[in-house]
Amino acid sequence: MVHAQQISKVFRTRRSAVRALNVVTLDVQAGEFVVIRGPSGSGKTTLLFVLGGMLRPTSGKVVVHGRELYALSRRERADFRARHVGFVFQMFHLVPYLTVEDNVLLAAPPGEAPALRTRAAELLSLLGLAPRVQHRPAELSAGERQRTAIARAMLNRPDLILADEPTGNLDPRSAAEVIAGLAAFHRQAGTVILVTHGTVADQYASRVIHLDEGMIAHGPIDLNAE
Amino acid sequence: MNTPYLIFSEIRHRKLNVLLSLLGMVAAVTLFVFFFTAGEASRRETTRIMRDLGLNLRIIPAHTAMDKFWATGFSEATMPEDCVHRLAAHTGLNYSHLLPLLRRQVAWRDREVILVGILPEIAPVDQRQPSMSFKIDPGSIYLGHELARDLGLKTGDAVDLLGREFTVAKCLPENGSHQDISVFGHLHDVQGLVGMPGRINEIQALNCLCFDTKRDALDVLREQLASVLPEAKVIQIRSIAEARENQRRMIEDYLAVILPCALVVCAAWIGLLAMVNVRERRQEIGLLRALGRGSGRIAALFLGKAVVVGILGAAIGFGLGTGLALIYGPGVFHVTGQTIKPMYGLLGWSAVIAPAFAALSAFLPTMVAVAQDPAVILREE
Repeated sequence: MVHAQQISKVFRTRRSAVRALNVVTLDVQAGEFVVIRGPSGSGKTTLLFVLGGMLRPTSGKVVVHGRELYALSRRERADFRARHVGFVFQMFHLVPYLTVEDNVLLAAPPGEAPALRTRAAELLSLLGLAPRVQHRPAELSAGERQRTAIARAMLNRPDLILADEPTGNLDPRSAAEVIAGLAAFHRQAGTVILVTHGTVADQYASRVIHLDEGMIAHGPIDLNAE
Repeated sequence: MNTPYLIFSEIRHRKLNVLLSLLGMVAAVTLFVFFFTAGEASRRETTRIMRDLGLNLRIIPAHTAMDKFWATGFSEATMPEDCVHRLAAHTGLNYSHLLPLLRRQVAWRDREVILVGILPEIAPVDQRQPSMSFKIDPGSIYLGHELARDLGLKTGDAVDLLGREFTVAKCLPENGSHQDISVFGHLHDVQGLVGMPGRINEIQALNCLCFDTKRDALDVLREQLASVLPEAKVIQIRSIAEARENQRRMIEDYLAVILPCALVVCAAWIGLLAMVNVRERRQEIGLLRALGRGSGRIAALFLGKAVVVGILGAAIGFGLGTGLALIYGPGVFHVTGQTIKPMYGLLGWSAVIAPAFAALSAFLPTMVAVAQDPAVILREE
């Protein structure tokens, strides 16, 4: 599903250069639930954005669903992302002026929103948000906002969901609900790559990868270390 | 989720931003409509003021003795009445409002009076305009103020003038010139009275304000006259000409400075608010990018909103600008203010120009929005 080969990413400023990823190679098979864990500044989010086609690596190659992402044009990459990849962010990034239902339908490709209305309702129901369909983000709890974001990520039946610290701003109960939502997607043969500090997702993880200073740490991983 | 739905949802959500943008747009359209509506009155006012200043060109026979001309106020020499028709038949000349006349000094009722015969004004073929001069019917005369008072004559009186009976059609108001001791009659009547049939000694005219500004106006007039009436020459009454020119320039400068300045300020205001809107919506832009939306879709959100603001601004601004012109116009333009009317054609122009103006003002912020890097935005906490 995802093949990242020798990915490096260097952020340059006028005065310095920061190497966020240092020759990272990663393979994720279809249907896997992979947790990427590491300290702040270890390059987790950068890796996720590179895998999602949102951030061109300084060097290396990323192949997702058989397509080499950075060989595509910007437009083609955007289309690919819309069809095959769902994103969930720590800050939710819901559009404040749209209802929960409209926020989910925002992911629909142009012209397909009416056809996906039923699916949006099913997803919101699955994630326990049926009573909140017509509410706006400001009227939701943090957990409800993140579940809305998960429903949005799942709308187009993507092959892959990339989740960046989705439980970072949630209390333990909400965090568990959010991870359960991602697990529901995984059960339907979806692939999940989740970046997190916590251990709440470990029970669902096929693998846990530890990232440190832009490199994948090899060796035994202690799932309870953090 | 289509673009218009997102635009209108966002407008409903961020009312203050939209209201402030709308304020700028309404101000721009209001100024535009006010200046054009009131400007029409201003144009009429200018025309009226110019007309009140009188005809500023005197075309006299070329061989006129100028010392006598300035001493008596008219030319001793004459030219054929046909000259005025020859001049009027030419197109592309800077002469308008042609008034042929014959002026002679005669003795009447133990006094010296100026006898002036005039025809109705003749407009050149390419300059049809309302007459600036009065018209006298055959058999009638107009009396200057001083003359009518001294002789105790009033409108409707029958008088004998050089052996022929005329009716006093009008006693003119005091003018402060030798018009006050003049008798005005139909040209053909006066020609008969002084024994000069078919002759005139002057054509008064108004120079149109269409000169090549690089050349002296009088040089152009003389050049044109020489080609049409070589037997005549032209004198320009400078004070009147300069007053007309100053009046015209004042209005043009007024519009040329104020309107662009106001429009630039409004454009900057709308652009600034659009930039604030882009800042507010950074995360939304990043999200749309992450969801696979292209630059065109992002740009359409911002430009579409600007167009909506422009259309609303056009409608409100037209109403407001017209209202202000109707209310305050009469106070500014004392002569023609009462004739200010709504110019509905401006509504159409506003509906086209205002959205384009708003979109242009929001163009730079839109480009900033399109250039946002989603990977940077979405990593911000």
